[in-house]
Amino acid sequence: MNGKRIVALAWKEWREIVRDRLFFALAFIVPTMLMLLFGFGLSLDVEHLPFAVVDYDRSAASRDYTYRFISSRYFDFKGYAGDARALDSLLADNRIRMALVIPPRFDEHLARGEPAPVQVLIDGTFPMRAQTTQGYVVAINSAVSLDNMARALSAGRGIPLDEARRRVQPVKLEVRYLYNQSVKSIWSLAPKLIMLIMMLSPPFLTALGVVREKESGSIFNIYSSTVSPGEFLLGKLAPYVFISIANAMVLWALAVWLYDAPFKGDPFFFAFATLLYVICTTGIGLVISMLVQTQVAAMIVASIVSIIPAVLYSGMLLPLTSLSPGASAIAHSLPTMYYTNIVVGSFLKGVSWSALWPDVLVLAAYAGSLFGLGYLLFSKRPKS
Amino acid sequence: MSPSEPAIQVAGFTKRYGKRLAADGLALTVQRGEIYGLVGADGAGKSSLMKAIAGVLSFDGGTVDVFGSRIDSARAAEKVKDRIGFLPQGLGLNLYPDLSIDENVDFFGRLRLVPGRELAERKRLLLEMTRLDAFRDRPMRQLSGGMKQKLGLVCTLIHEPDLVILDEPTTGVDPVSRRDFWAILGKLLEEKGITALVSTAYLDEADRFHRVSLFHEGKVMGEGTPAELVARVPGTLALFRAEPQATALPRLKAAFPQTEAMGSWLRVFADGLDAAGARAGIDAALAGIPATDWFAREPELEDVFVAMLRQRGARLDTQLQDDDAPRPLATSQTPALAIEARDLTRVFGDFRAADAVNFSVPQGEIFGLLGANGAGKTTVIKMLTGILKPSSGSGRVAGADMRSAGLAIKERIGYMSQAFSLYHDLSVVENIRLYAGIYGLDDRQGKRRADWVIGMAGLAGFENDAAGRLPMGLRQRLALGCALVHRPQVLFLDEPTSGVDPIGRRVFWDILFHLSRNDGVAILVTTHYMSEAEHCDHLALMFAGKVVADASPEAMKAAVAREAGQLLELRVDRPAPAQAALRAAGYASAALHGRAVHLLSKDVDGDRTRLPALLASAGVAVQSVVLRPLSMEDVFVQRVTALEDAQRRTP
Repeated sequence: MNGKRIVALAWKEWREIVRDRLFFALAFIVPTMLMLLFGFGLSLDVEHLPFAVVDYDRSAASRDYTYRFISSRYFDFKGYAGDARALDSLLADNRIRMALVIPPRFDEHLARGEPAPVQVLIDGTFPMRAQTTQGYVVAINSAVSLDNMARALSAGRGIPLDEARRRVQPVKLEVRYLYNQSVKSIWSLAPKLIMLIMMLSPPFLTALGVVREKESGSIFNIYSSTVSPGEFLLGKLAPYVFISIANAMVLWALAVWLYDAPFKGDPFFFAFATLLYVICTTGIGLVISMLVQTQVAAMIVASIVSIIPAVLYSGMLLPLTSLSPGASAIAHSLPTMYYTNIVVGSFLKGVSWSALWPDVLVLAAYAGSLFGLGYLLFSKRPKS
Repeated sequence: MSPSEPAIQVAGFTKRYGKRLAADGLALTVQRGEIYGLVGADGAGKSSLMKAIAGVLSFDGGTVDVFGSRIDSARAAEKVKDRIGFLPQGLGLNLYPDLSIDENVDFFGRLRLVPGRELAERKRLLLEMTRLDAFRDRPMRQLSGGMKQKLGLVCTLIHEPDLVILDEPTTGVDPVSRRDFWAILGKLLEEKGITALVSTAYLDEADRFHRVSLFHEGKVMGEGTPAELVARVPGTLALFRAEPQATALPRLKAAFPQTEAMGSWLRVFADGLDAAGARAGIDAALAGIPATDWFAREPELEDVFVAMLRQRGARLDTQLQDDDAPRPLATSQTPALAIEARDLTRVFGDFRAADAVNFSVPQGEIFGLLGANGAGKTTVIKMLTGILKPSSGSGRVAGADMRSAGLAIKERIGYMSQAFSLYHDLSVVENIRLYAGIYGLDDRQGKRRADWVIGMAGLAGFENDAAGRLPMGLRQRLALGCALVHRPQVLFLDEPTSGVDPIGRRVFWDILFHLSRNDGVAILVTTHYMSEAEHCDHLALMFAGKVVADASPEAMKAAVAREAGQLLELRVDRPAPAQAALRAAGYASAALHGRAVHLLSKDVDGDRTRLPALLASAGVAVQSVVLRPLSMEDVFVQRVTALEDAQRRTP
């Protein structure tokens, strides 16, 4: 190992990254941009759902029922529609996502204590959103029903309304959300975006940076000189690791200050784990670059290898426990899941070494074996 | 390790890429201090061998020894890498475009652990010698081809290796820079006693080397000094005129396969015959047509190379049917000029890619546009064919501006771009049918033209092979066939012969000649092979976007002979001191060519007697002084240096 050669390589690489417009953008602008785009664009909260109402009854009871939806923060009232047929085009054009159809004699049925059916139309194109919408509708509807029962009880038995309410709902739920008290999806999304972006950016940068030299032929400067493979890999990759750490810090700052995600954990623990993760994802780029010959191939392989684990098997969108046994096995064999545990733990749960040391250990093993593999695949005297 | 031990010794070298055999049992020995040349076309196996010697490519069979160490593993290769400098193929591609000249050199120096002070000193000397010192802070991407090439050399030499391996350092560089490069390389190697292994695709550069190996399709065809190689196939090269040329040519070809038409001249290599025998044989073959303006001389290396390949079974003949003649150019009025450029100018930012270019090409003429990479050749073609809008001036083809011309005119031009514009995954027939479809030929015509192209290009038996898997020469002729599928009357060829072997190039020029003479097709062809320029009827030399000369090849040579003198070759025992002595005596054109020195002489008879005496006083023995024909490269260098001198005088 000769420090001077490593420094010469790192210095050259740094200048190239800073001066090449494409690499500069890829290194310094794209990660922040992704954080902003995903953070503001990818909200998993279902709120302000546009809806319309067809009211064939036009009674006080039907208006009262409708008002319960209008006043909810989950729904955004777009107006009354003339008849059920008008709803088709509204739903088809995405102007509304849900519609209530209140049949004639709704008031009358209620007053008589008979079942009063109400039709709910929900846009089912996104199943997750549709289920959430249905949940809201059911919740509001049962609140209305309970209220009606309480009123009837209060009027019939002559007891106070509050007393009647207690009697209709003897078991009262007291829900407290832990770690993310207001159940804001951005609180959990922003930290996971650090995981996602740090899975995308370093492999791309690294793979392109190394393969670019293969494509142009400047790799022969390395092959034909006395630089050892270890020196080359250290010097070549150090700038990428360094840039990625800086990016991770910027992303952390955006998560905390722009998206107001709480950071409850140990900053030193988090920084250390992030360093390991960045080395690990840089190593993925290194291994890719050893296996392909062109920058186009590097891009394609890097996008498949990084996006799929980061999105599907990391626990970013779906909890890992809801995966099938096969998918869960895949998730456990990829590094993203472990780092997701670390970000969620550090941001929301406020845990560190004692709870997360196995995850850190796995990341360290990954980083070590990826670099080991890259080292073994690198030959200064290849076959072609 | 004894000092007489060879620098490189290769035996039975074999390299495969998948199924393809790139090098088949190559052997060569390079002595210390030698400049050794590997000469051959693309894909001949030169690069594979050079990479293996540099220890950057593993191989399948044979042995490679460098300075007495056997290179048989990555570990063994590491041991000699400190003593080797390797410049891979591709002009400036191994350099870092975003780093300045200074930073590039520093990086190579530091990578090689050259101590700081020594690095600064060597850098200063090398940059001064290559005249790059004025541009130290300029990013490499903004350098011209010649400057990139010199920077590549500086970076390769910065750790003062004992052996430099330079893979096609001169390909695509203008002749002036090329000469400069050889001069600098010669001087450096002489001073430091470095051994050099250099490859080139230009056969006419072979005389720059002490010894050469001729490569063809993974085999060495011959090894020795250039003179030895030329002597290996005895024969005479005859240059003459015989009218009518079209009748004379087939008669001569029947007797002498190595017959070429060069403009109005005929060039015949009569193998095995002396000058008198060649004259008798050619007169007999001409059967009554008189040969005039007769010259007979020693053949060139390329003639010998082709003869060697023919002895191994290569064929030079082509079958061209005449029944499928092209359509006449215009129905009502046939313009005399097929192509015309008037003050054609194209500016990219503050870079003038083409600067007031003027020339004209009549029907039936082969017009050559010569120049280095980046001289503006492709820009001119693109403006003429209407692909690129001129900044000012106009280009006309068949009397019409291609940007506004109707389909009827556009269908009469054919264009073959650099890199042969073929679809590599389509078969030969599919490529031809695709182009036939693009040009609107119906099925019956398409079928007929496909048969014609296959016959013309010698592709019979390859019809269903993927275009990408054809050898270079065949692929090039297929591309030509595709450009000709709609029987165009004007043909644009952009560097059609880059990387093709001598046999392929000859067959290609035969086809072009046939098209121009028998079918009256006007052909505009660009090339950076100066030796090929002699095939053209008329030439325009381009340099830095300008046309610097516009005449027939003979007229250009005659003008240079008049202005600067004729070419003398001095064979001497010690070339470097001889060159120095000649320069000191006022022969500024003296240049090293292997073991000989070339110079331009205005007084040939006087110099024949004067020079040996002059050199004897410098302690150099002259073995021979021979008058050599001027090459197009000499013409180009002369023109450009004269132009540069004129610019320097009037700033």
